[in-house]
Amino acid sequence: MKELLNFFIEVGKLKRKFRKGWLVHGIKNSESTAEHIFRMTIIAWVLGKNKKLNMEKVIKIALVHDLCEVYAPDMTPYDPLLPRDRKKAMEILKKWPKFTPSLKIKKYKNKYKIELLALKRLVSRLPLHLKKEILNLWLEFEKGLTKEGRFVKQVDKVENLLQGMEYWKKHGKIQHKLWMRWAKEILDDPVLIEFMRTLEEKFCKKCEY
Amino acid sequence: MKREYKDLKELKLAKTKGESPKILHSEDLNPEYLAFQEDISFLESRIIELENTLKNVELIKPPKKQNIVDLGATVLVEVDGQNDEFTLVGSLEANPTVGKISNESPVGHALLGHQVGDNVVVSSPIQTTYKIKKIKYHLS
Repeated sequence: MKELLNFFIEVGKLKRKFRKGWLVHGIKNSESTAEHIFRMTIIAWVLGKNKKLNMEKVIKIALVHDLCEVYAPDMTPYDPLLPRDRKKAMEILKKWPKFTPSLKIKKYKNKYKIELLALKRLVSRLPLHLKKEILNLWLEFEKGLTKEGRFVKQVDKVENLLQGMEYWKKHGKIQHKLWMRWAKEILDDPVLIEFMRTLEEKFCKKCEY
Repeated sequence: MKREYKDLKELKLAKTKGESPKILHSEDLNPEYLAFQEDISFLESRIIELENTLKNVELIKPPKKQNIVDLGATVLVEVDGQNDEFTLVGSLEANPTVGKISNESPVGHALLGHQVGDNVVVSSPIQTTYKIKKIKYHLS
């Protein structure tokens, strides 16, 4: 029980880990990783309900997908492009970060390695079956090994998109058009595409471009 | 994929061949049994996934008209003043982080059937135009 308690204490740190993607956009009091996980799990459950998915697995994958961030840095698509200079950083944020195909693969592999190490460290003292379950669920998500893992991976982006549009409405600062463009490139689940279109209608109907 | 399927089947066989851990340890559930079950269930779900995929697999051949965007094409586009490159793949292979986008995504679907020089508009209600600059196929 002592090891479980320590695990819960460590996981609790995500309540106070503010998401870097919003911080770099200058959003003050941005959401924490735990808050992102909370709404994402709700979205995965509600929008996944009528699909032929193992819902227990869907919910568990959503809950564990960012646990690695207890020890791993929250990486953004802009890493390592952003300079410390605020003005220069804001200029870079106006465009979607572009990398060569080989650099994309290198960044992807590097992120995977860092996050896997961090997750292994987090679960290292858990009972063997729990440790394996958490690692396997994370792999299903990260590598898209099962339909549940692939669905939750897209829900992760959808929650991010919704939060981005909410911040854009409240603070500006977010390049909402870029975000919608990005979503249309990465989402392919029909339910999530329909949700994205509803979201776009709500937030962007009267937008000027 | 076939190799992964074969390896996983062998791994499952090896795991279940020997004596599996007992369900109870004294009066408590044996943690080794739970860990063993976790392994088997993970292997089984991946094996089923691969079985389904391999049963319905269809190898993509490069189309005769290689100047048209089809599944398997790598497309260089200009969008919002920036160049970008995508490879169009099926849903199971999609990994947008490394530039592989699904043919069922709104952008992937819109690009299909177009050729170099075309301006492909993806709208509702934000409009984005993708100008196709180059199309290539790696398979031969």
